[in-house]
Amino acid sequence: MSRRSPFILCGILAVATLAGCERRGGCTGSYCGTIIDAAIAEPLTLLPPSTEDVVANDIGEQLFLKLADVGMSTNTVGDEDFQPLLAERWEWDGPLTLVFHLDPRARWQDGQRVSAADVEFTFDAYKDSVLASPFRAKLRRIASVTQRDSLTAVFRFRERYPEMFYDAVYHMRILPAHLLRSVPRDQWKTAPFGRQPVGSGPYRFVRWQSAQSIELEADSTFFLGRPGIRRLIWRFTPNLQVGVTQVIADQADVREQLVTPENVERARAAPQLTLHPFRGNVYTYLGFNLRASGDTSQPHPIFADREVRRALTMAVDRASLVKSALGDLGKVPPGPMSSLLWIWDPEIRQLPYDTAQAARILNARGWRDHDGDGIRDKNGQPLAFRILVPTTSVLRRQYARLLQEQFRVIGIRVEIDELEFSVVTQRLQSGNFDTSILSRGNDPSPGSGITQTWMSGGFGGSNFIRYYNPEFERLVDRAIAAPTKDQARGFWRAAISTINADAPAIFLYALENIAAVHKRIDNVQIRPDSWAALLRTWRIPPDQLIDRDRVER
Amino acid sequence: MSGAAWLLRRLVASVAIIFAVVTLVFILIHIAPGEPCPTEEPVDPSVCSELKQQFGLDRPVLEQYGRYLVALAQGNFGYSFSLRRPVRDALADTIPFTLQLGGAALLLDFLLGLALGIYQASRVNRAADVVLGNITLFIYSLPTFWLALILLLVFAEKLGWFPVGGANDPIFCPVVDSLYCVADRLWHLILPAATLGLVGSAGTARFQRAAMLETASQDYVRTARAKGVPERRVVLHHQLRNALLSFITRFGLAFPFLLTGAVLIETIFAWPGMGRLAFHAILTRDHTLVTATALIASTVVVLGNLLADVLLELTDPRLRVRADVTTEIVTV
Repeated sequence: MSRRSPFILCGILAVATLAGCERRGGCTGSYCGTIIDAAIAEPLTLLPPSTEDVVANDIGEQLFLKLADVGMSTNTVGDEDFQPLLAERWEWDGPLTLVFHLDPRARWQDGQRVSAADVEFTFDAYKDSVLASPFRAKLRRIASVTQRDSLTAVFRFRERYPEMFYDAVYHMRILPAHLLRSVPRDQWKTAPFGRQPVGSGPYRFVRWQSAQSIELEADSTFFLGRPGIRRLIWRFTPNLQVGVTQVIADQADVREQLVTPENVERARAAPQLTLHPFRGNVYTYLGFNLRASGDTSQPHPIFADREVRRALTMAVDRASLVKSALGDLGKVPPGPMSSLLWIWDPEIRQLPYDTAQAARILNARGWRDHDGDGIRDKNGQPLAFRILVPTTSVLRRQYARLLQEQFRVIGIRVEIDELEFSVVTQRLQSGNFDTSILSRGNDPSPGSGITQTWMSGGFGGSNFIRYYNPEFERLVDRAIAAPTKDQARGFWRAAISTINADAPAIFLYALENIAAVHKRIDNVQIRPDSWAALLRTWRIPPDQLIDRDRVER
Repeated sequence: MSGAAWLLRRLVASVAIIFAVVTLVFILIHIAPGEPCPTEEPVDPSVCSELKQQFGLDRPVLEQYGRYLVALAQGNFGYSFSLRRPVRDALADTIPFTLQLGGAALLLDFLLGLALGIYQASRVNRAADVVLGNITLFIYSLPTFWLALILLLVFAEKLGWFPVGGANDPIFCPVVDSLYCVADRLWHLILPAATLGLVGSAGTARFQRAAMLETASQDYVRTARAKGVPERRVVLHHQLRNALLSFITRFGLAFPFLLTGAVLIETIFAWPGMGRLAFHAILTRDHTLVTATALIASTVVVLGNLLADVLLELTDPRLRVRADVTTEIVTV
């Protein structure tokens, strides 16, 4: 080794350490500001119909506008709570026809005007079976979208129902027909446009560095008003803890979900952060497979019995589980719903926590500890089953252990299968499981998630446990078709009470979100269904700017 | 056998090994349980079947394999359905980062390990040797992910001296286009490279110390000392040169690390390298991406071993003599 080597090494270290000192930039005033979001996953594409990815949606909010969007109430019934975006106004032309008038100021970021042809083209793309958009099924009750003139789009529905307006505007982000018409639909998933999009939103795409970051810059000419923050950066990390640490160490400005009580405490202790709670859109349940594991033609030897399922549900103290695992970050859901939904109502009838009653039911159904080994049995078969959980979810693995203990107390043996996520998916789809702890994300409409997961239409899809109750389905259908919100609420209550009484699953927890946001950011508005939907209204006062806000390039 | 013939034989064997590895990986990833379209959220089943159809994942495995080999022969790594982009582009994005991290870690590993090993051997059984021996043993026994978390906690979160993950500052240096941004990259590189390099150097130091001590008792070292050669020259010229053989072997084994990446460290430090890419590919059952990363990994493993053999041949005349003798015996 040369005698100079140590000096060279020290030199590199010195330069590298100096690099840690931030450069000073020059931007001043009300429209400077940079927000770095510590994102946990990288999107596959930014082309809206091709992805349901959460981060892609957050970025899509900035790039591609909808015709209108839900308000802070997240009320999906009627149109009174919706905010205009690309459409400056709308009117009903008869019971099944909705007419949108586009804002003539709206422009694509290449200068072209946003037109009704774009709306017609977008609907056609979202409905195209070749594209197989995950949103396609949600548009099934819209018969057609046509253009009356260049700024007027006409939606025609197949039937009348309370969430017609919501269906028309919520699922589709309007796409630039002039840029996408020439791209074959079977190539959209991989189209370069998905990695270099041109939108009509408050921000323009700047760059995407794979596995590192996506950067957007404000469109100062945005027709609904100049965004307050000049630059938005989604910085990707594959690990939640690293993302949270980046925010705590002041190397990022936003972590929209802290997920665990420990992270909340760490963020609370960081002086530069403010915590913003908001309603969560995820609920988690232990689903009982009602069909024999691996053979969907046969009933499950344990869970086909409704009374046994009810007993198992009564054996679990859901409130104490939430308290110990999630603290303030979770609630016991009153049914298959997240706290985002307007039908959330703790007064809905649920099975109580009652281990004595659970034991009585099991005894009555013949499940007794005949051989004195501590495990109930019937006809020589022990009351035992397995819980399937993905290794990727620390919380669900923790819950599996807590449930295992609670079931052990009343004489049920539970074993846990912790498997890789793709294997879990395969086993769920093939019906090869006893029970599984599953999470569901809700959009603001109660109808869409519940019909897909808890009704017979979801067989072969996401109704993995194959739950079917015609009475429940009748009530849900009536709730969806109810002309007013109050009537719908009544049907929803009855439907949820019905499924609770059936106990096809134990509804374990609904997550509450807490976002950590840098204190210098003002006017932080978080819409519960999409935290980034109102980012364009966030501001950083000029006297609060820090170096990364001012930097010019 | 001449050197050229030996090298040619090794190259042919290397290609065969790489082909076998790629074939095996392709078959294994196809027969492994799991879905190439994992999703838990309610999704229309047609979405997944459409995806499989578009990327040819619904075809028989043999047909997929045949298509893959044909594409590979044309220099085409195929298309990653999980990333929605050509595998070639994904590799081109990650390989530079892996080279930087692997290079820095190996540099630290071997420079520090070599220096410590030599120093310990020159003070064998004295206080410095004992202390350093225990320290290197302690570091060598640390799990790298644990050390990474501790370094991250102390130097990034608590002290704020280094960034919490990533390969560059997304605001000041979104692309490396200036000396300042080169320094920024080094600044981001220090913690992950130090994690890997420290643990590696502890191992290297222990190997190097043992190799140095083994040569210390050789006749030529004793002779050099008896001739009055200065101790520094004895250590560096007589002992070290001969003790480098184990170092070269170790280098050959470590060389593949330059391109294979380190999954845990890249995940903890959000370093966008090959390790993370390969891990993502396996989790998503992305057959083309898994096979491409396996192809690269097996190629560098084979190359590393070949390089070590060539270097050993060049540096140790005894191996050449033995090879010649063996050839003669076989010929006779």
